[in-house]
Amino acid sequence: MSTTLAEQPARVNTRRSSAQATPPGMRKEAGWRKRDRAWGYVFIGPQVIGMVLFVLIPFGASLVLAFAEWDGLTDLTWVGFKNFTDQLADPLLHKSIINTLLLALITVPIGLGLAVVIAVALEKLKTRTLYLILFFAPVVTSTVAVAMIWQQMFRADGIFSATIGKIFGITPPDWLGDPKLALIAVSIVSIWSSLGLNVIIFLAGLQNISPSVIEAARIDGAAWWSLFTKIRLPLLSPIVFFSTIVAFISSMQTFDTVFILTQNAGPDNATRTIVYHIYDLGFGRFQFGPSSAAAVILLVMTLVITAIQFGAQKKFVHYEDDAA
Amino acid sequence: MWNSKDLKRRSVLSLGVAAVSALVLTACGGGSGTTSGPAAGGNSSIVFSTWGTPEELTRFTEFNTEFMKRHPEIKVKLQPVASYGEYHSKLLAQLTSKTAPDVFYVGDDKLGQFVSSKRLMPLDDLMASDASKTKKDDFFPGTFGAAQQEGITYAAPNDVNSDAFWYDKKVLEEAGITEDPATLAAEGKWTTDKFLEMNDQIAAKGLIGSMFWNYWATHYGWISAQGGAAYDASGKFVGNSDPKTLAAVETLGKYFQDKKFVDADSLPSGAGADSKFVTHKAGFFAQGRYTIGTLKGAKVQEGYDVVDWPTPDGKPAPTGVAASYLAINTDTKNKDAAFTYWTEFLSAEGQEFRLTGGGNAVPSIKGADEVVLEDNYPTHAQTFLDMRDVGFANYAAEGAVPALSTDISDLFLELYQGKNNAQGTLDKVAALIASKTGK
Repeated sequence: MSTTLAEQPARVNTRRSSAQATPPGMRKEAGWRKRDRAWGYVFIGPQVIGMVLFVLIPFGASLVLAFAEWDGLTDLTWVGFKNFTDQLADPLLHKSIINTLLLALITVPIGLGLAVVIAVALEKLKTRTLYLILFFAPVVTSTVAVAMIWQQMFRADGIFSATIGKIFGITPPDWLGDPKLALIAVSIVSIWSSLGLNVIIFLAGLQNISPSVIEAARIDGAAWWSLFTKIRLPLLSPIVFFSTIVAFISSMQTFDTVFILTQNAGPDNATRTIVYHIYDLGFGRFQFGPSSAAAVILLVMTLVITAIQFGAQKKFVHYEDDAA
Repeated sequence: MWNSKDLKRRSVLSLGVAAVSALVLTACGGGSGTTSGPAAGGNSSIVFSTWGTPEELTRFTEFNTEFMKRHPEIKVKLQPVASYGEYHSKLLAQLTSKTAPDVFYVGDDKLGQFVSSKRLMPLDDLMASDASKTKKDDFFPGTFGAAQQEGITYAAPNDVNSDAFWYDKKVLEEAGITEDPATLAAEGKWTTDKFLEMNDQIAAKGLIGSMFWNYWATHYGWISAQGGAAYDASGKFVGNSDPKTLAAVETLGKYFQDKKFVDADSLPSGAGADSKFVTHKAGFFAQGRYTIGTLKGAKVQEGYDVVDWPTPDGKPAPTGVAASYLAINTDTKNKDAAFTYWTEFLSAEGQEFRLTGGGNAVPSIKGADEVVLEDNYPTHAQTFLDMRDVGFANYAAEGAVPALSTDISDLFLELYQGKNNAQGTLDKVAALIASKTGK
């Protein structure tokens, strides 16, 4: 409906009067919102400063150093892409990449697979809290303590090796002294120490599946196995996807277990991971340029692998909404 | 639950400011930091930093207590770092941020680059002064190594460790060896052939012949003992063109590849070289005087002795002497107090105090040798002193380049693992040195 020119001032006046008519309580609320926002900034301030100081600035510095030669003491010299070409030709980096990928390929599927199985087993168990505490204990235990305990267990005369020797009737394996076994030893510790967290996440995921979907499948005659493989597992897939990405990135950054469990990255660099390589170059050899270049290479690798995972998720990740 | 109305503006702001301040202070604090500077009453305060085992750190604390009794005007604070591996990265951060201790240890593998960076105080004038208890000539000249550049002294060895061959008489006996290496050495019959023959016999029994840490003193010590030369007088690497060096490295590589020699670094922690040695799994172990502590700790000291490195003709030759060095921060605010501490720490009396009672090293200065011989253990303890007198520190040309010695050790590891031959290894070493030093 069109309006006449004469009506327009009246409309403006109406708006003005409606603003004036806002109840006092509403104005007070708007004021509190502003203050809440201010408190919010105060509270996130330390986090932001921490992020800038300990993440963004080091990240920028690392990027800059990747193109320079610097030993931490003398003047910095620009070398262009030399650190990258040197690193990409360095057999130690190659070994580190292979070890890191192997570690991820062992720990991620086995670790997550075990976690799913345990979560399913615990789901209906009344005493599951006790088991959850047991599984979660390694997560909250210091990595140093975990690694040192496993170091003793992995000794040829340690309880883990001796038990395996007895069960299979073989000479107890020298886990940390044999280049073929050292990485497997690190994998065992990594899986063990992250298992609890994954179990908790999967358990929460399983309990979050809508009972109506399960009930509908049951009414349709689905047995336990087909219910699990065709309904529950697909509906758990977003959690699996999230856990896979987190576990993969975490695996790519393995350092402390290697550092404590296998000093000097094990026999013949058998457990040398990329992060250990970065640490060794930087803080062991004071070669901060090559170390930073290796860090950038790790970043690119992680981004590529994560992008691949995101690409692949379209094929195996199902959301409850999709079904609807 | 928190309600925004309950929050008092002032208390929240205080909380935020406190959190930010804590964060910023943490970032700028640099860990324990240093506190050198004038102490109360016009006295001086200095910080001394080192790595060490709990026993060593206790001894340093005792030294400081005694020092402060002698010098009540100087307050010394010990800033220890337990691990050698962590020590230098912390020191580097402290030097870069100008928060480094006044007096500090530096390892022989890192010394050269600290010297090159001009962060260490030149000491020649101070050492020659009346206040000095450590004249330059009091030290054994071969042990300065990378501490001297272009005729200027930037640090001095606080003590040294000649890598002797410790041997387990029980293992030798088990391998059917009836001759005693130290006795052979005293008779001038401790030859390379004899040593290798013993290793063959030990390995034939399924035991380790010899264990070595993979570092400069091992490969250069072996080369030197066999009459070869790694570097010439000008500091150029010539090992790859010297026939004696090539032959020596070939033998070294062969024995490692045959598993008769073992790289101690590659043994697993928890079942490492020390453990193998005290449980009679290895015949020889190239190590310093600190092995006394290992053997006594395991209560197996009886039946072990030391001998120097074998040579083709049985006459002693120079071999590697590991050292750590004491330096003064060029930025110290208390130069006089720092030097007083430095010179007393290194003096014959200071070294005697630190190394007495089963100490872990050999004095680097004349006049304190008695501490090595005091307990008559091991039987041929004099070997440590003899080896020090003729031995050599890491080559200055090599020590001055960050991680060069470590990178060279990596190349020797390839040889030990059979991934390269002697000529190939030495050529790669020569190329690496040329690329890093221009020589």
